[in-house]
Amino acid sequence: MSMTRREAVRAGALVGAGVAASVTAVLKDRFGPPPADPIGEETRRQLAVLKDVPQRHDEDVLLRMQRELVRAMAKPVEERRWAMVIDIRKCVGCHACTVGCVAENKLPPGVVYRPVTTEESGTFPNVHLRFLPRPCMQCDKPPCVPVCPVKATWKRPDGVVIVNYDKCIGCRYCLTACPYGARTSDFGEYYTDAAAQGAPSGPERPALGSCAPWEDQPNHEYAKSWDRAHHGSPVGNARKCHFCLHRLEVGQLPMCVTTCLGRATYFGDTNDPRALATELIARHNVQVLLPHKNTEPRVFYVV
Amino acid sequence: MSECTSRVELADPREPGWPEVSVGWWRNLLWVLWAAFAAAGVVGVAQRFLYGHLPAGYGSYVPWGLWVGLYFHGVGIAGGAFVLAGLGHVFDVPGFRHPAVLRVAIVLALAAILPAFLGIWLDLGRMERAANIFLSPSFTSMMAFNAWLYNAFILVSALCWLLSYRPGSTWLKPFLCLGAFLSAFIPSQSGSFFGVVDAKPYWHSALLPVLFVTSALTAGAAMLLVVRMMLGPGPLSAEEHATAIRRLRMVTLGALVVYFFLEFAEFSIALWNPHGHDRAFDLVLFGPNWWMFWIVHVLLGGLVPLVLFLQRGWRRWMVGSLLVAVTFVSVRLNVLIPGQAVGEIRGLQEAYQHPRLTYVYHATLMEYLVGFLMLAAGMTVFYLGCRISERLAARFQQAS
Repeated sequence: MSMTRREAVRAGALVGAGVAASVTAVLKDRFGPPPADPIGEETRRQLAVLKDVPQRHDEDVLLRMQRELVRAMAKPVEERRWAMVIDIRKCVGCHACTVGCVAENKLPPGVVYRPVTTEESGTFPNVHLRFLPRPCMQCDKPPCVPVCPVKATWKRPDGVVIVNYDKCIGCRYCLTACPYGARTSDFGEYYTDAAAQGAPSGPERPALGSCAPWEDQPNHEYAKSWDRAHHGSPVGNARKCHFCLHRLEVGQLPMCVTTCLGRATYFGDTNDPRALATELIARHNVQVLLPHKNTEPRVFYVV
Repeated sequence: MSECTSRVELADPREPGWPEVSVGWWRNLLWVLWAAFAAAGVVGVAQRFLYGHLPAGYGSYVPWGLWVGLYFHGVGIAGGAFVLAGLGHVFDVPGFRHPAVLRVAIVLALAAILPAFLGIWLDLGRMERAANIFLSPSFTSMMAFNAWLYNAFILVSALCWLLSYRPGSTWLKPFLCLGAFLSAFIPSQSGSFFGVVDAKPYWHSALLPVLFVTSALTAGAAMLLVVRMMLGPGPLSAEEHATAIRRLRMVTLGALVVYFFLEFAEFSIALWNPHGHDRAFDLVLFGPNWWMFWIVHVLLGGLVPLVLFLQRGWRRWMVGSLLVAVTFVSVRLNVLIPGQAVGEIRGLQEAYQHPRLTYVYHATLMEYLVGFLMLAAGMTVFYLGCRISERLAARFQQAS
């Protein structure tokens, strides 16, 4: 080797500095504080929902969960712990939750938060259909969070994994990291694209986007107004189920819970020992999806 | 040596501005190819800006396509070419110690990595926020770590290129060592980029970074061989040039054999596993794109170059190294696409049907056209880099 002693020392120092800088950067982010979400008193919500409706012992589970929601929202966010329980014995595969979610969040084509899979087992005449709704699992160890290169996704103090549409660069790494396929990318499609393409040419014909103004209406995920028109976010972003945080804020249950015809989807604060969701997940016939992935989902299935 | 050199027309050594394609018809062919690639690429990039991602074939279940494959191929070539030329210079290996030779390799590395960035930028959903990866990076993500690593590599490469003009610089070799260190890390961390994704069993292998390093060395050495043979001996003596070519051929050959050996190891563990294996392996070997593995990778990227390299004659080596440099993109694609094409949740694809929600991926015309743009951009960077190197060398010589 034809390096002088000085060159060798310099090479060692440069490589050493590079290694030290890399290790410091990784450790800083791995063990650093989580994103500063609002917590404490400012996050309490005193909601008047169902205030004037007297409680009955035989009331619908939706009303019970609604009251529990109001109770939970009165606590600071860090004291809530949302979970969803899906009784797949009751699910009839009507897809009302899927459609309700699409409507609530104004999901464009190719974006879905809560598909329902159908699994057929047995041979005729002994056949069985099983339906499995698959929202985001809001994992306690979410594999989608650490892979985000720009800190655009994180787990809130109440357990919901969210995406900051204003920061997301649309690299889609989180899509590959989710074993449940729960994240989809908004590629900027419109339901009426084909109609737009068939429209007569002229200045009013859109090159991109829809003829139908309703498709450009903003959605209100994360309690903000997101304007799709003119290629605004969330076009180009990763999107996912967020337990309808914007609805929770005003005392409404997630859309999929309210639209479930068979009352197969339950939702609540598992820090509340009296909550229906807490009762259900304590049962022995409760499972999580892909437990071997060790993601610790917050969505439980009653089987 | 005389037998080898007799089979190629060598350029006149033109000190100090060496880079010059040695054979006339090669130069013309390259110009024609560049014009074709650039024209096609302009159409592709116009489509990308006019219609966004709509004309692309990737979706939410296979979110990464051709551009990501090309990106990692470019990054691999850059790392492989730099580490060989850099260490060759540091260790004073005959045929590698001349600064002009080093500059050609550095320009090659930059010509491989810069278009790769162009492709990955066009792949982003929000291109205008690309700078976020530098402004608010999260180093728990291998993507952010890699982006910083690659940019550090570009800076160090540029610095080495500048230092190479200072005779007797005591900083050149230290920075070359740093660059070589980064070069080795670049492909290995590219492998880790996929390896850390536990959701994809096909990717989640500790061997992947090793495979990526080996393929980077193979493709990088092959590309360096192509370039060195095309440019001729330049400031080197014919003897020294021939030695360098023979060494690069041996490195390419050795890396090629090691790569296939490691790949067989990876596949054998999967295929001999009594508990079965991930379906992605079946897709690679017997899926609809089986030809990508058997024809492009094994035949054109392995067996044919092997036969050509084992024979004498530079033209055969040239064809062999070109084949390796080009077809090794299939190595990336064979990791990238089948790994994504297998879902963990049964029936997910059928649950909500849309062309963006399938596990089937076919690159579209727009993606190929943008791929051509990346190629044209690489050729442009290389040409301009060589020209600037040449002019700068002449100016420095004049000044001294």
